Amino acid sequence: MRNVQTVAANTFREAVRDRVLYNLVFFALLMIGVAILVGQISIGIERDVIVSLGLTAISVIGIFISIFLGVALVSKEMDKRTLYALLAKPVKRWEFLLGKFVGLVMTLTVNTAAMSAGLYIALWTVNHGLQKGDAYILAAVYLILLKLALIVALALLFSCFTTPFLAILFTAGVYVAGLFAGDLRTVHGVELDPGALQLVRGISYLLPNFENFNVMGAAVHGHGIPGTIVWQATLYAILYIAIVLTGAAIVFSRRNLK
Amino acid sequence: MGAVLLTGMVCVWQLQEKVDAERRTLKLDNDELAMRSPAVMKRLSLEYAPLMGAIYWTRAVQYFGGKHREHDPDLGQLWPLLDIATTLDPNLIVAYHFGATFLSDSPPRGAGEPEHAASLLERGIKANPEHWRFYQDLGNVYYFDKKDYLKASQAFEAGGKLPGTPPFMKIMAAKIAAEGESLETSFALWMELYQSTRDNDVRKNAEEHLRMVKMQMDLRALDRIADDYEKRTKERAACINELADAGLLSGQPLDPAGFPYVLGQTGRAEPNPRSPLRQEWLKGKK
Repeated sequence: MRNVQTVAANTFREAVRDRVLYNLVFFALLMIGVAILVGQISIGIERDVIVSLGLTAISVIGIFISIFLGVALVSKEMDKRTLYALLAKPVKRWEFLLGKFVGLVMTLTVNTAAMSAGLYIALWTVNHGLQKGDAYILAAVYLILLKLALIVALALLFSCFTTPFLAILFTAGVYVAGLFAGDLRTVHGVELDPGALQLVRGISYLLPNFENFNVMGAAVHGHGIPGTIVWQATLYAILYIAIVLTGAAIVFSRRNLK
Repeated sequence: MGAVLLTGMVCVWQLQEKVDAERRTLKLDNDELAMRSPAVMKRLSLEYAPLMGAIYWTRAVQYFGGKHREHDPDLGQLWPLLDIATTLDPNLIVAYHFGATFLSDSPPRGAGEPEHAASLLERGIKANPEHWRFYQDLGNVYYFDKKDYLKASQAFEAGGKLPGTPPFMKIMAAKIAAEGESLETSFALWMELYQSTRDNDVRKNAEEHLRMVKMQMDLRALDRIADDYEKRTKERAACINELADAGLLSGQPLDPAGFPYVLGQTGRAEPNPRSPLRQEWLKGKK
């Protein structure tokens, strides 16, 4: 595990050096702008807009970082040929992959935590205090983080066997398809034979169901988020990430790097 | 080089202003809604439907405000905007509450679409069954705009059964069921809204309605006094002063805007021709 820790720490350091956290400045400006403007252009939704925009920004910025940096985790090391030097040392390929994954998830955690703090400051400023329902925002942020970790795992998997451009397309495609995974199970108004219907249902379970991590609506309106939803989503993310990373490790270990 | 760029930008700015002026002459109503299907919008919003709902609600507010500013009575796109906003975020309480008011009020205050207002509130009740205010709003729409007193009473009664609802709901349900439309009931409904709202626009709207209802109650009372005078003297009074001189009035009664009431050509009480409330009263008579 020591190798994994070293790779993870270096991945985190590299992300900070690459000024990935500069997106926080954009987030801060966005929240300040919204806090000033929203009360003047709408009626009665100051809190709703700040929370929904804050969570959306956390999610969208996180998705961009997860996809683009996730794909670059392996491909950049190969392009710069640093991967060869690294793998010449007693570091197994799966340790390298896991370290990269943990490093980027650490970066995302710091980024998400900072943005959440900004969101709470904006809420505090506009509402002159916090309410009980604001606590549920933390649950929504935690689930967003789980989603981002899953996207990083997918990006890593795709970057192990294809070009960076295609890996980005595949990851983004699976993310969007995963948002509709539940709909595939309840498809109506389409005439399909039973075999095709079973196939569609099967695909719907194979795709990562990103709707499992979506509690934005409840958090925006300060509605309670049941603990069962949170732990089930956590379990789902751990299981799915484990499967994807295992797949990535298998593909990467068989890849001819010469 | 900097001066050239600056000059170029100033030219672009000037040109844009000219383009804007030209485009204002076109009636580009469809610009408000590129996509009319709430279901498609929800799908396209991915997991960010709550934010999109808030954006659509803000667009509805801006659309309504803009039309008011331009004194344009055509609010045809208000319902689609609210439909999309509440489909994207079914828990957007303000969109149902204010949206129903915007839709149900008769022009020029609102869109004059009580059918859509009732649909919106019924959808709001389905998505937020614990929110008793929607029943009050629905009751108001049925009472004031659709004149369906049975449904109005049923709405107040259903809301009155929810926990935490003020006794006012059950009282109004019984009152409307017994009396149908009456000025006293209307006054009570507007007064409750006036006292309970925290929004300035809603309070202002309720205040305007209260002034109108109060004036109608005054006119009704004056007509009764004038009828009484006619019974006694066998002649219809020609002006309010005659009623005061006969001891039936203690002085010159004023309408809520501060103008003395007058008797019209038929001897019925009317708002003063100088009163700002007269226009509204004439509209109501039509």
